[in-house]
Amino acid sequence: MTDSLGQQKPVNIKALLQACRSKEETFKALVTLSKTLPRLSAEKKTEENKVKGCESAVWLVVEESHGIRHFKADSDAKLMRGVLVAILSLVEGKMLADIQKMDLKAELAELNLSSYLTSSRTNGVLAILNKINTV
Amino acid sequence: MAFDPSSLRHLFPILAQSAYDHPLTYLDNAATTQKPLPVLDAIQDYYRSFNANVHRGAHFLSDRATNRFEQARDTIASFINAPEQSHVIWTKGATEAINTVAFGLEHLLEKGDEILITSLEHHANLVPWQQLAFRTGARLRILPLTSNGEWEPEFSHYFTDRTRIFAATQISNAIGVSTPLQTMLDHAKQQGAFTLVDGAQAVAHYPIDVQILDCDFYIFSGHKMYGPTGIGVLYGKSHALEVLLPYQTGGEMVRHVSYQATEFNVLPYRLEAGTPHIEGVIGLAAACDFLNAQDRLALLAWEQSLAMHVYSRLHKEGGIEIYSPEKNTTLVSLSVPNIHILDLNAYLDSQGVAVRAGSHCAHPLMAQLGVAGTLRASFACYNTMEEANRFCDVLLEAIDLLNDE
Repeated sequence: MTDSLGQQKPVNIKALLQACRSKEETFKALVTLSKTLPRLSAEKKTEENKVKGCESAVWLVVEESHGIRHFKADSDAKLMRGVLVAILSLVEGKMLADIQKMDLKAELAELNLSSYLTSSRTNGVLAILNKINTV
Repeated sequence: MAFDPSSLRHLFPILAQSAYDHPLTYLDNAATTQKPLPVLDAIQDYYRSFNANVHRGAHFLSDRATNRFEQARDTIASFINAPEQSHVIWTKGATEAINTVAFGLEHLLEKGDEILITSLEHHANLVPWQQLAFRTGARLRILPLTSNGEWEPEFSHYFTDRTRIFAATQISNAIGVSTPLQTMLDHAKQQGAFTLVDGAQAVAHYPIDVQILDCDFYIFSGHKMYGPTGIGVLYGKSHALEVLLPYQTGGEMVRHVSYQATEFNVLPYRLEAGTPHIEGVIGLAAACDFLNAQDRLALLAWEQSLAMHVYSRLHKEGGIEIYSPEKNTTLVSLSVPNIHILDLNAYLDSQGVAVRAGSHCAHPLMAQLGVAGTLRASFACYNTMEEANRFCDVLLEAIDLLNDE
């Protein structure tokens, strides 16, 4: 998703995911989204930043300034990077109190990502949401 | 004439469905197999016609249930060629069978004794021994595969006069490698060690003869051999079962109880506390009957030909690492450098292809292979050549889609 000048083109994440009519289309959309995620540097990929409960490695860095939350995340799995783009688009730049009022599971379901929300041990999206939501 | 899976595929109604608008392609058989109609019917027949608790009530239904339950023990005994039906102990699976042995032998172990396993073991045949070693001061030793996936030409030195227990899988669940079991068992027996063989990955594919293997214990689970979940088998030689202290106590396993003492029942009941998994036992016997009615060697040759076909197709493609052997295996275990196995798995799933991506409950083996996990396609008798090809086609598509430009 870069233009001729190498700039990131904005992707309408919601429209892209909601247009998916099959598991395959969602897969391809997530691959597309994964390419828009800025990768974390090696020194940010610490044990502390690692989200426990994900079968793929996921790192989530939460920063807060003036009550506003900023998120950076990465994963060694591409689809998970796509899912992270979707999740962070919902919460980036919001106040913690506002994030806590959101029903993130429902919002992800609206993006056709509900199959990533099962509590099987193969995915840790719930663990990611938990970390996003906590003080 | 080559085996034709359509001769029995119709017995597995679950396979005739779509997954996300694609034909379901079930290649996760090493995790659990699907169940044929005779197994489903046997379970339903049990509840419809003769459900009662076994070994207790003296009434019409209880007698029928007990007869069928003990007939099932005969069926399993002859399935593995056990000399006596009392050598067949019901467990809830392979894991419980191994734990029954690990706890049962604890009283015989001393500090400095050695428990020897191989580097191919599933966690179920590793953690119980490791914990037993912790409890007793025994030492857990590992007989390793070399880095190129071969056994050392000379491994007899791993068997010492301190080796009290040798436990090995017949076939690796993660990479489909067979162990040189007979040689290993010979070494173990020369040292007077108890021997346990984990047959969980073998029983669905190979005819088993525990008298030829001549191991003290042979264990497996039902759900990987077309039987129900929650039922498994611990076979043991008489003297080996006799020395096991019961790891669970309670009803069914006793002969006489007072507040001061309990006299345990004889084998096999001594090791079967509580009401057993009756429907599981009935279903497992039906699974044995199903397999006995087949030409087992023809099924095995078919399953191996599917794995070999996948191996030969994918081996030609650059950039796929295959960890399973080229021949004599019924699964293909692989990874693709720079592509996460969960991503490959997700695309396969989106196309209706069910495989397993992960560490296969074998973390130390994965560490030795230098991977976090592998993608495993494992075959059963009902799988077709079209399915084997579909796995290859969809995997190659996935690699195309996921390769970084």
